[in-house]
Amino acid sequence: MRFRTVRSGRTTLCLWAVLCGGVVFCTQTSVAQATLAIRGGKIYPISGPPIEHGVLLVANGKIVAVGEEGKIKIPRGATVEDAAGKVVIPGIVDSHSHIGIIANPLAEDSGDANESSGPIQPGLRALDAIDPADPNIRMATAGGVTTANIMPGSGNVMGGQTAYVKLRGNTIEQMLIPGTIGGMKMANGENPKHYGAKDKAPMTRMEEAALARGIYEKALQYRAKWDAYNKAVAAGDKTAKQPDRDLDLEPVVEVLEGKRVVHNHTHRADDVMTALRLSDEFHYRLVVQHGTESCEVANELAKRHIPVSFTIVDSPGGKFETINLDLGCPAALEQAGVKVAFNTDDPITSSRLIIRQAALAVRGGMSEEAALKGLTIYPAEMLDLGDRIGTLDPGKDADFVILSGPPFSVYTHVLETWIEGQKVFDRSNPQDLRYATGGFGVGDRFPAAPRGGN
Amino acid sequence: MRALRWFTLLICVASSTVLLAQNFAVVADHLYTMADGTQGGPGMVLIRDGKIEAVRPGPHQQPPDGYTVLKAAFVTPGLIDADTTAGISGAYNIPADQDQDEATDPNTADVRTLDSFNPNERLLKVLNQYGVTTVQTAPGPRNPIAGRAGIFKTAGTGSMSPTVEQLALRAESAMVFNLGETPKETYGKKEKAPVTRMKTAEIIRHALADAKAYEEKWAKWKTDGSDISKQPSRDMKLEALVPVVDGKLPAIFNAYRADDIDTAIRIGNEFHLRYMLASVAEGYLIADAIRRAGVPCLVGPVMQRFDSLETANATFENAAILKRAGIPVALMSGYEGYVPKNRILLFEAGVAAANGLGTEGALRTVTADAAKILAIDDRVGSLAPGKDADVALFDGDPFEYTSHVLAVVVGGQVSYQRSK
Repeated sequence: MRFRTVRSGRTTLCLWAVLCGGVVFCTQTSVAQATLAIRGGKIYPISGPPIEHGVLLVANGKIVAVGEEGKIKIPRGATVEDAAGKVVIPGIVDSHSHIGIIANPLAEDSGDANESSGPIQPGLRALDAIDPADPNIRMATAGGVTTANIMPGSGNVMGGQTAYVKLRGNTIEQMLIPGTIGGMKMANGENPKHYGAKDKAPMTRMEEAALARGIYEKALQYRAKWDAYNKAVAAGDKTAKQPDRDLDLEPVVEVLEGKRVVHNHTHRADDVMTALRLSDEFHYRLVVQHGTESCEVANELAKRHIPVSFTIVDSPGGKFETINLDLGCPAALEQAGVKVAFNTDDPITSSRLIIRQAALAVRGGMSEEAALKGLTIYPAEMLDLGDRIGTLDPGKDADFVILSGPPFSVYTHVLETWIEGQKVFDRSNPQDLRYATGGFGVGDRFPAAPRGGN
Repeated sequence: MRALRWFTLLICVASSTVLLAQNFAVVADHLYTMADGTQGGPGMVLIRDGKIEAVRPGPHQQPPDGYTVLKAAFVTPGLIDADTTAGISGAYNIPADQDQDEATDPNTADVRTLDSFNPNERLLKVLNQYGVTTVQTAPGPRNPIAGRAGIFKTAGTGSMSPTVEQLALRAESAMVFNLGETPKETYGKKEKAPVTRMKTAEIIRHALADAKAYEEKWAKWKTDGSDISKQPSRDMKLEALVPVVDGKLPAIFNAYRADDIDTAIRIGNEFHLRYMLASVAEGYLIADAIRRAGVPCLVGPVMQRFDSLETANATFENAAILKRAGIPVALMSGYEGYVPKNRILLFEAGVAAANGLGTEGALRTVTADAAKILAIDDRVGSLAPGKDADVALFDGDPFEYTSHVLAVVVGGQVSYQRSK
């Protein structure tokens, strides 16, 4: 029997079972875990209508059952948590984040998002720069985020490989979602043009597109060489010469083969069309990231079934390409049949308030149903994780959030965040609270919390 | 052709007259006058000639004849952003529209917001659409002595584009001082003073002491007979600081870290300034010292990014903790160097409401309390007879994410109306 990666609670359970001479089902990952029942709250499964007084059953990190109170049998010995008057939603999926790679200044003055030594960097992996100790990760769990797509920045035309992670663990290996390889970050529009100031390419949007086309053409050629080699070997040709391995082109081939989704930073409507033009030409899968003016070309997105991971900031401007920011854009996309997710682009907006992103889209006319999907199942699908997370359904990971009230009220707080059956944030714990409200760096100097008013 | 021109002109005059001379009856399910008395009950506000004519609390109010009726679930005074760069720091964020920081000299006491203010800046319209009707626009964060702020309305009351003079409630409202990271980063990288916090404080103290000496020199010249041949030479920077050391013009100290806030208090007390603290990210850590100093706080936006050490300890609870300590509190949107180009006061107040201040408490910080701190409560900040008719109308709790601003009235004129 092995006790690798078992957490303290599970260890105790296994030892107890051993001492009692019972049959032990403790394996390295799926250790028998007492069933957890979250009872009485309003549950939004997302895959179906909300359940006013529901029960969520969890065991071994997975959802076992979801249904109405009274209709779901809570097993004897289950740990029961009363959620009456509260609201339960799936763990929030942030499809565009830089937590851990642009760290909180209290952790370290780090800027590892943009490798500004050249505009095409497909060989870079976000996972090699993510600091699991970054407080921003804990702040994200305080906002209800359980899964994130942590990406390189938008300073390069091709910025590097993104990482699909759960917000737990002490190493990036523990954070990475098994079986995932992440996406590919691309950017067009204003940001990559910063090379122009150094008299280097790209200086124009034309060159950005040309650089992107160049790397895809190279990857096609690379794949053709390997295909020819593999074919020759399969045919018994012992003299066939193996092509040199190219760590930059391998992940681009994965894009061309549909194994990696391209997450393309793009704001202006014509830049969105450039992203579409490239994905049309090279037949790769695309998520429009930010999409400030994407509603202007909503029909073009809808007919290609390309989703938008939208970023909302408080006011327009700060840069030209966000000057037409409009809270009504997500609603217009919804009406055109485009799936919309909401992201934080943390640190651009704070992960603690990711729900606010969707709420402001509701202010702009989006339906609450689509807005909730935009925090859960739609971003999960954008990361090819729709069969694993994003709804509260049996068999899925037990990632969920307990809210104090209606999801889209400013007065509602995230009370608890759970990942795979483990509580990772608890607002009633004063230390955790500081990650939700701020001031975690000041320790004992924090004055007693104000009471009343909310 | 000539006839057509006259016809067009007549229509313009007629329509603008209608627009200007309109009287409004604002009927609310929940009226927050922020004047004395209980808040949030039903009521009606009558507007005539740009001023509040009467406030009638209670349900089932009959609007008088000749008044255009505006109905809303929630009605509040127009909001007051106590410290922002809106109007001088444009939305595009390119040199062409950035006029907030004259970072060529650490002392630019002689500059005025008034002379950079663009009444047609689109961010002013954005703020107005979120219920903000009054802003104190201040020079940016880079200079230890940054220049003079002014207080302006966010929309004019004429049919033409307003001039800054028409928008100004106070052309010169305060002298702005900046402590902490930004001034020393600005000049330190050019190997000019200030490179340290010590020097920033010294530059400010030096200038204030010089202003006192300058004032005395001029006074002496006058008592000595005002001989023009012996007249002291004029210094516009020192001249601008004289009303500050005289306590006639308030000082605003922008400070984030607790010890920088303390430095502001030390300087303010040394020179007996009339002053207030702004930004105050770590104000909650030294609330007792601020209370002892007896000065108000303009609390900076808590949704601002943690992009420096001095803002890293910001908390959503700052305003609530300071207010609970007995400190007068207003909220401010401050300065933003990137996206979003301006924080929205309504949103910031919502976060404060949800983190200890409550709805009415938060509303007070952006209306009546802000007006009192900025000494403009004779004009704005509450809905009471004789005050400017600056009103915000909402279809729900003003701070709820999903509520909408239905209309905004400035000086008795509708500056914004929701289209759907």
